[in-house]
Amino acid sequence: MKRFAYLIVLSLVAICVLLPVLSACNTTSGTTQSGGDRLVIYNWEDYIDTEKDEETGKRLLDEFADYYQQMTGRALSITYTTFDTNETMMTKVLKGDANVDLICPSEYAIEKLLTAGCLLNHKALKEELQPQLDKYGISLNNMSSLTPYNEITNTNWGNIEPDIMDVIKSMFGSVTAKDGNVYDMTEFMVPYMCGTLGILYNTEVVSLEELEEYGWGVLWNVQNNERLENKILMKDSVRDTYAAAIFYMYEYGLLPEKYQEYTVQQLINCTDDEMVSAAETVLTEQREHISGYEVDFGKDDMINEIVYADFAWSGDALWAIEEGGYDEETDTYQLGYFVPSVASNIWYDGWCIPTSVNNKLAAMMFIDYMCNPMSSIRNSVAIGYTSATAKAILEADEDVLAYIEDNEYDIEEYFSNEGRYPAINDTLGVMRDFGDRNDIVVNMWQRAKSGAHVDANLWYVIVAIVGAVGLCVALYFTVQALKTRPRKIK
Amino acid sequence: MKKVARKKFRLTKKVFSIPYILFLLLFVVIPLVLILVNAFLDNGNNLTLDNFKTFFTSKSSLVVLGNSLLVGVITTALCLIIGYPVAYFLSKMSSGRILVLLYIIPMGVNFLIRTLATKAIFIALGVELGMGTVLFGMVYNYLPFMILPLHTTLSGIDKSYIEAAQDLGADKATVFLKTTLPLSLSGIFSGITMVFIPTISTYAISQLLSNGKIFLFGDSIQLSFEQGMYGVGSIMSLVMLVFVLLSNFVMNKFNRNSNAVRRSLW
Repeated sequence: MKRFAYLIVLSLVAICVLLPVLSACNTTSGTTQSGGDRLVIYNWEDYIDTEKDEETGKRLLDEFADYYQQMTGRALSITYTTFDTNETMMTKVLKGDANVDLICPSEYAIEKLLTAGCLLNHKALKEELQPQLDKYGISLNNMSSLTPYNEITNTNWGNIEPDIMDVIKSMFGSVTAKDGNVYDMTEFMVPYMCGTLGILYNTEVVSLEELEEYGWGVLWNVQNNERLENKILMKDSVRDTYAAAIFYMYEYGLLPEKYQEYTVQQLINCTDDEMVSAAETVLTEQREHISGYEVDFGKDDMINEIVYADFAWSGDALWAIEEGGYDEETDTYQLGYFVPSVASNIWYDGWCIPTSVNNKLAAMMFIDYMCNPMSSIRNSVAIGYTSATAKAILEADEDVLAYIEDNEYDIEEYFSNEGRYPAINDTLGVMRDFGDRNDIVVNMWQRAKSGAHVDANLWYVIVAIVGAVGLCVALYFTVQALKTRPRKIK
Repeated sequence: MKKVARKKFRLTKKVFSIPYILFLLLFVVIPLVLILVNAFLDNGNNLTLDNFKTFFTSKSSLVVLGNSLLVGVITTALCLIIGYPVAYFLSKMSSGRILVLLYIIPMGVNFLIRTLATKAIFIALGVELGMGTVLFGMVYNYLPFMILPLHTTLSGIDKSYIEAAQDLGADKATVFLKTTLPLSLSGIFSGITMVFIPTISTYAISQLLSNGKIFLFGDSIQLSFEQGMYGVGSIMSLVMLVFVLLSNFVMNKFNRNSNAVRRSLW
């Protein structure tokens, strides 16, 4: 009988433990319904609003699934996967290992994928899908790649900011692919977010005057700020760190002679041997002053004051400033974001459809859905980056304005914040694909990270270990010898 | 024809090994072949030997390899120095078996979680992350791999050898040097292999405990593959494989010699 009671108790405990687990499984896979359509999204980490909406109680992805079901009558299960650098994503897509419907790379990565023939033209896709679009009454009028007319911006770029599209069109309007064809990149991507590279700093340790005076040099600690030494984080990403090295050399006149006349735009895309070795020198030099390289934990380390300066993307920086402390008495934030006025980088991430796409309709509808004002503002507020949706369209939408106010922002301040909406000018360069020269830059980056010599300290450690062991053994034997000697004398 | 037809499927003991053989084929043999093939291909899938040239002529990759080997040697030495006394005293204690559990239990926790926790402790203590913290993390992670084989061998030694040595008038040091140490050599060698081989290929520990500032061979391989440089990455993996085989070979050789020592004891 006793054993029986034990069994009952045990199974009850098991049920208590397992039930929540099982039900949790059910809620996370709530959108998974067998027999429905599938959509696989491959996006950056922390790059979409994952909070439940207060009114509808649904996450953005679930809302899209509902929208899809409403329009087409079919259920949609969404698989959402993430990457941490463009390179990780590109390697997968280029090797054909990524079985996904949507990706969201940066502009230079899009260029590379386009030249390799890995992306599909949105206009061609629309033509192919036209019968279905007509049947379900879907317009896709938000997507810039389809060049629909928009009344508010008075351009043919859908909901996307015309300034951004102008830059992309002028920069990537005619990309020559490996197969010899010339493509217009604006037909292959729809901008999602944009932002700058700058310095996220701790306002207590680094002053604004210091930043204005030393600019990018702060990341090299040229001002010899004692508290900053070894408390700087750089990006563990080749392109960004290479750009930082170039900005630094540009600001401090360390560039080789022949590059003096170059613009910022030309400089950050220059991969001549001379430039690469110059960058290697300053990056190796920088190793002595920094805490390390990261791509994901920089924001948290800044908030927790483990480090005091971080080479950051604007969105991460704005997010960290909001999460970080705020002193009401002195009206100062714990963290600040500074883009040196000499030179910086502006980047654009966009939605693309790779050739591995299975559900073309859902992919196109998702891009369109992400470009509507409400999705744009939800994502932008959640992740901190600047939505590529036109400012004029956002400002004209009442729901959007209400949402901004609900999130305790001042509307005027929100749209005039320079960190969020930088003035696009010549000091902001756009990255382009390095092409075949990429390997050379990567090799330089490896050298800069590993240092020029085998770590001498390691040899000392070995010598120390051998010495310590030798000493212990010697000590043991002398003690033994001393112990035994008197006996011999007796 | 008849003979062939008669050769039916029979459920023998051998059949049970088939699942694992299939697993080996899929996840060990085929990937190795892929690495070997990739090592000789360039980005355009043409046959080439350039990858070898890039690797063996670039100073940085050799520096990284040198660093990794040194870190491996130091970690192994430290593990041995710390692990041997522990295993020795544990094998002498009656409650040793239970105490050994204390070394095994942390191994049940995923090493990434342990390493992240170590990092948090270092930051809380204000220790600067760098080579020192990486070495600490390595020793901490691989110490159980040293202690376990040592403990097994040491507790397996027949006590009568030691008693015999004592009866013949040997003092403590001589007993240890002439009986215990030679008899535990096989444990030492398997401990060294179990620590050295994983340490030269480790990458997450060095990256986490130095904020990416210490760049070891494993990190280098990871970066190459991440950047789509499959050729060079494969060469590095091959070099690693050669080191693994080499250290295995050397250790086996020593181990055989140590068996000879054991026999000569009789």
